[in-house]
Order: sequence, then C-alpha cells, then structure tokens
Amino acid sequence: MSSHPHLHDSDLVPYKVIPREDTGLYNAKFGIWLFLASEIMLFGSLFSAYILLRVGSFSWPVQSEFLNVPIGAINSVILLSSSIFFIRAWVALKADDIVKYKKFMWLVISFAILFLCFKSVEYYQHFSHHEYPKSSVFLALYFLLTGLHALHIIGGIAVNIYYAGPGMYLRKENKQWFINRVEVAGLYWHFVDLVWIFLFTTLYLL
Amino acid sequence: MEHDPQKDEFKRDLLIYFSIIALTGLIVTLSHLHKVWGMFLIVPIACTEAGILAFFFMHLMTKKKTIHLVLLLTLIVFLTLLFWPAWDVAYSPRTPSEFTHF
Repeated sequence: MSSHPHLHDSDLVPYKVIPREDTGLYNAKFGIWLFLASEIMLFGSLFSAYILLRVGSFSWPVQSEFLNVPIGAINSVILLSSSIFFIRAWVALKADDIVKYKKFMWLVISFAILFLCFKSVEYYQHFSHHEYPKSSVFLALYFLLTGLHALHIIGGIAVNIYYAGPGMYLRKENKQWFINRVEVAGLYWHFVDLVWIFLFTTLYLL
Repeated sequence: MEHDPQKDEFKRDLLIYFSIIALTGLIVTLSHLHKVWGMFLIVPIACTEAGILAFFFMHLMTKKKTIHLVLLLTLIVFLTLLFWPAWDVAYSPRTPSEFTHF
C-alpha cells in the first residue's frame, strides 16, 4: 500500500496531477517545456541557416514579390484566433463546461484546417508558376520552413481532435489529469503560433 | 459589485489578442513602406508579439524557475550556434558559389 497521502496503488507514476516539490511542475508540463526547448533548437537552427545563407549571398530576391503577403497576414490572424479559442476551451474545461470546451476545441481544429487550406493555396500558386524548392536557395528555405511548420500544425490537429473527441474518456478516469493534458497540448499549440509569427516576419516581410 | 475573475481573464485575453493583431498590422504596413528605418523596427516588433504571446498565453509570467532555466539554457545554446558561424562567415574570405547565388 502506498505511504504517500496522494498516491493510490494504481498510480505507478507520481506527479501526474500534483506538482513535484523541486520543480513546482507536474510531469507533463515539465516534459512539454523540455520538448518545446528542443523545438526551439530545431526551428532556431533552420532560421540561423536562413540568416547565414542570406547574409552570405551575393544577391537575394525581394521576398514579398514571391510570396503572398495578404494570405500570410490572414494566416497569422487565423492561427492567433485558434490560440485564443484554445485558451477559452481550457478555461471552459476547468469550469466543467464540457459543451463550451468541445465547441472551442472544434473551433481550434477548424481554424487550423483553414490555415492549412490557405497554405495549400499558396503552394499551388507557387507550383503553377514553376516555383519549386529546387528553383532557388530562397524557395528551398521557404518550402522547408513552412513545410515543417505545416507538419507541426497537422500533428497538433491530430492531438486536438483526440482530446475533443475519443480522448474525452480520459476525463472520466481522472478529471485533473485530463485538464493537465489539455493544458500541455495548448502550450504546444501556442508555440506553433509563435513560430509562425517569426516565419511570417522573416519570409514575407523582410 | 463582485468581480468575476473569469470575465476579467477573458477581457485580458481579448486585449492581448487584439494587441498582437494590431502589431501584425503594423509590421505589414512597415514592410509595405519600404523604408530602411521601418525594416529595423519589424524584427523588434515581431519579437514583442512573440513575447506577449509567450508571457500571457504560455504563462511564462509564472514564477516557476524551472521553465525559465530550461528556456534560458536553450537561448544560450541557440545564440551560440547562431553567432559563432555568423562570426566565421563575416570574417572569412567570400568565394562565389552556386549555393550563395539566388
């Protein structure tokens, strides 16, 4: 029998809900921040490659002539809106308002899909003008950075669909644990939004 | 009159949302102006947007030192990786290369 006042025999992993005394965080939150740190290194290395290639080149195209700035700006608004919907979903979940939680989560998912639709339109415009990654260094970087970001969006959509749909059964097992899981998914989602802010600025505006 | 903390939080989130949208509009406008001074403002404004999002939406204004330490270490490593090769590129002789031509 567990001697810890908050642990049950079935809890083999402690600190899923209550925070650790030394870090002040529960496991998943600490884990997601470590993961986000690795993501910062991933995108950071690609951004630094972009900076070094641009600084080291003899000539560089006027990026805004290649890229659709209005669509990029619309995508920024879409992703930011999905971030705020996620926050509302988490607040609703904490308040036990499951209807509102599901409504906002599906808004997050819908806006993310809308982002990908606009991104697909942009890619189609490039391909129809025979602008491919192999066409130039700039386009190679553009497709690499935005493609990797789009993959992160797709992964986030999959997680959000799970927590808005079939994953809801986890709430019946342990309510606070489920709230923590959604919070952690939200941190990832805000990070994806944050990366887009830098992508939009670097690729579309500079 | 009782304060509803949830409503206060919602108002704060909306304020942050519209602030970031406004800053996005500002950097798009600065980009369209094609002024040199505008270009130097775009990156700091974008960093401000990211900072606002990180502080409020990602709860970086928390007092949890663990998170700050993890991010500080990441930042130090990232800046080292960024500026070490940049220093090398800046002080190395440049040779024409198909990889550096647009």
